[in-house]
Amino acid sequence: MPRTLDDEMATEQRLSALQEQNLQLARTIAELRNQDALKTQFLSNISHDLRTPLTAIITHAEILRDGILGSLDERQSESISSIISGGRQLLGMVNEILTYARGEANQLSLSRSEITIESVIEQVSAMSESLIARKGHSLSVDIEPGLPPIAADRDKITHVIANLLGNAIDFTPPGGRVWIAARMAPESENGQAILIEVGDTGIGIAPEHFDLVFREFAQVDASASRSHHGTGLGLAIAHKFVELHGGRIWLESSVGVGSRFYFTIPVRSAA
Amino acid sequence: MTTEPGSVRVLLVEDSTLVVDALRLLLEETGHEVSAAFTVRQAVELARAERPDVILLDLTLGRENGLDVLAELARTGSMPPVAVALTGHDDPQSHERCIAAGCRDVLTKPIRPLELPRLIRDWLAEAGGARESSSSDPAA
Repeated sequence: MPRTLDDEMATEQRLSALQEQNLQLARTIAELRNQDALKTQFLSNISHDLRTPLTAIITHAEILRDGILGSLDERQSESISSIISGGRQLLGMVNEILTYARGEANQLSLSRSEITIESVIEQVSAMSESLIARKGHSLSVDIEPGLPPIAADRDKITHVIANLLGNAIDFTPPGGRVWIAARMAPESENGQAILIEVGDTGIGIAPEHFDLVFREFAQVDASASRSHHGTGLGLAIAHKFVELHGGRIWLESSVGVGSRFYFTIPVRSAA
Repeated sequence: MTTEPGSVRVLLVEDSTLVVDALRLLLEETGHEVSAAFTVRQAVELARAERPDVILLDLTLGRENGLDVLAELARTGSMPPVAVALTGHDDPQSHERCIAAGCRDVLTKPIRPLELPRLIRDWLAEAGGARESSSSDPAA
């Protein structure tokens, strides 16, 4: 059937309506992106501003604790120590939010030096000793001998391992087993990499939540998260730090059996 | 608390009165003579007038950059024996920027109170004895 002028006009009208819709969608997307960036900027500003009074509170409390203004009795000392540990915990959370906001705004950079993964793991295990003992866990460390040094940001790699180990400790019922292992990753097209594993015999994560845990503010299990007072940003930050190094992070887990988090750090970085 | 003659003079450059009060208390109680500036201009004027042994410098002074103080002092040859950045910015880039601007060290706030007086002694010892270099000052 030959097309009439009416048909052509109708097609043109539909086309122009579609174009208009596309334009509107593009505007909405741009607006949402803009609002998201504003929210990230707000997070960054507010955490920066929260740090100032917190710094003053902690410094005053530590001046008192250290006896610089005179000695305290035992109960006064205990009370001041609680102010300090609460303040430092809060500061840690504020710093975490700031780091996250910086990562979102692509303002994080690496300060690389030649490090051995063994020394980082030793440092993190030593830091976690008292927490492990308090929960009655056992920690085992298994590092393949002769791993090559890596050009990496020591503080950030320490942060990743400490975060994974902290989660392993927190989400494992008392008397459980947690471990850290490091070995060469199977050779891939991206070259040599070291594979680090942090595992536990804890509550585990359901497969449908595997991707969710690396997303910001994600709390897979509200009741479990309640005993783990965090910002919900720890794994999102770990993910970012590993990515910045050109590595990959993932997990294997089964509910009630435990979790294993893995990440790789390339031995020779492209950066 | 009264300061002893010959005590180390510290200039705090920091835009928060809360933080200045805390650090002033700490430093005065541990025998230092303290003055404080809240802006780049105040800091430069005080540094020239008082010739402190140590400048403790916050990186963010409102919208100003604390490191501008050092740039201005370096330009006019009035750098103190020791300049140290006090910062909440713990990213490596600011650390490198501070060292490049002439800071001897970069401390992340909050500083451990017992550490600061010890660090000040160490920095001054490394800088070759600030008291000698400022002994022409009547306050010394």
